[in-house]
Amino acid sequence: MNAISSFFRGPYYIALYTYREGIRRKMLIGFLVLSLLVIFGSSFISSFLDPSAETDIDLKLIKDICVAAISIFGVLITVYISASVVPNEIENKVIYTVLSKPVGRMQYLLGKFMGAQLIIIVNLLLMGGLFFMALYLRQGIMPTLLLWSILLTYFEFLIVSAFTFAISCAATTSLVPIMGGLFVYITGNLTEYLKDVENRASQTTEWLDMIIGKVATGLYAVLPNLQNFSLKTQIVNGQPNDPLLDVFIPSLLLYGSIYGLAGFLCAYVIFWRKEV
Amino acid sequence: MSTAISTQNLTKIYEGALRGQDVHALNELSLDVEEGEIFGYLGPNGSGKTTTIKMLLGLIFPTQGTIKIFGNSAISSAAVKKNIGYLPEGAYYPDFLRGEEILSYYGKLYGLRGSDLKKRIDATMDMVGMQHARKRLLRGYSKGMRQRIGLAQALISDPKLLILDEPTTGLDPIARKEIRDILLRLREEGKTLLISSHELLEVELMSNRVGILYNGTLQTIGSVDELLVKREMTVSVDGIDDGIASELSSRGITVEDRTGGRATLRIGSTLSIYDAIELCKSKSLELNSVAPRRETLEELFVRVIGAAEADRR
Repeated sequence: MNAISSFFRGPYYIALYTYREGIRRKMLIGFLVLSLLVIFGSSFISSFLDPSAETDIDLKLIKDICVAAISIFGVLITVYISASVVPNEIENKVIYTVLSKPVGRMQYLLGKFMGAQLIIIVNLLLMGGLFFMALYLRQGIMPTLLLWSILLTYFEFLIVSAFTFAISCAATTSLVPIMGGLFVYITGNLTEYLKDVENRASQTTEWLDMIIGKVATGLYAVLPNLQNFSLKTQIVNGQPNDPLLDVFIPSLLLYGSIYGLAGFLCAYVIFWRKEV
Repeated sequence: MSTAISTQNLTKIYEGALRGQDVHALNELSLDVEEGEIFGYLGPNGSGKTTTIKMLLGLIFPTQGTIKIFGNSAISSAAVKKNIGYLPEGAYYPDFLRGEEILSYYGKLYGLRGSDLKKRIDATMDMVGMQHARKRLLRGYSKGMRQRIGLAQALISDPKLLILDEPTTGLDPIARKEIRDILLRLREEGKTLLISSHELLEVELMSNRVGILYNGTLQTIGSVDELLVKREMTVSVDGIDDGIASELSSRGITVEDRTGGRATLRIGSTLSIYDAIELCKSKSLELNSVAPRRETLEELFVRVIGAAEADRR
């Protein structure tokens, strides 16, 4: 027990330091302020719409804008912070002072990764919290669906963050991992199309189509499907306190955690013999 | 006296993308640094000093050879790292933290907590003379203060071995002297210091032994007294002119620091001091002083590197 707590003590301090350093970055603050302005602005814009309209078009506008803002700015924050926490420390040589202390490379990576997660969670809570307020003030109903959505969005970001972090451990600047992270996010949201490819391929007897089908099956099995975490359609079209449809939260959390762990382990494999 | 750092045939080759582009950063370095000494590790840029230091700290890995720190070859283990403090060259310390918060962070990484940590922060701040500024944000620190905080983070765990990369570079003379005094005090306390520096005068004033590296190969190693064996006499004179200067030069006397009619004459090995004085008298030069002069570390450095460059060509 003592060995476990002493192992996690280093990562804990590194995570706190990473968080304190990360939340002061101008780029991150810029993303956050913009997202909060957009979310706040959605309520302002919707007030110009005809309140007597039966379709609740103003409410739909708020939901559309807020869901899009959280997705876009959330993923930008996630990718930016995950891509830069390690390369930044290599660039400004802080990593030398940390790794020369009794801190293992696994502990160091764990600390940096946990610090990045802390930043992502805080930002997501701020954006989600404002959206929550906007909905609650507009409708007077507790938007429980949104709370589930924020939780699932975090696990979606966890996957993107873990693989971006892994790429950043191989890179010397944060530009390549930022591109890589955005690629992971976009690919992860297109995984559903692989199933279509697989279905179409199974309907023909052409050998090339069959190979493409097999490749699509393999990729579908390996790549994370980030669409699984999306409650956007239900949030935009339904009531904020509707029960969850076709979603089993524990399995999604497990799914996100496994991919997150896989990404982190990739990062460690890359980093444990990296020359800094 | 036991050995703090020992390397055997330590070699580092950075592999290039294409065949023939490999960079031999360090070639079969065998080096012992004894406990309680200040070892000056010298060499021009790109000679392999930082590569050596990074390998000692486990930041990069040797292509071949072995490293032992206090007799232990598991240099990346926590047991070994607990005994090492490291000050990298030009490291960044975050502006949003206070001096004592930096030390607290690094102290915690060493496993210090509670009253032990507080005591170490107090002692280290005292040692580097930063007690007055410990609660100030780093953004208000001068370059010298930042360097002292850098030194403090290396000292926070009271390590037996300190590895310092350019500890005085870029500092004004007063700050440099203060850092030098701290390092000498640390040696008196029994610490071992490996100092990599371009400030040769500082190294000469502090070090027990020095090693000079060039192109990844250790060119010379020894105590400062052993290495600086070349001794000469100098004569300070008045009344010199171009004609006399060239005549003295032809007799093996080097004319230095000439300002108007005043100059310092460095007497080479081809002439005795008595003959040199007689020669000066015969030219009606006014003698101001006669003094023995030892070769400086800078001169040794230039001589050793010059010879190594000539061999390479």
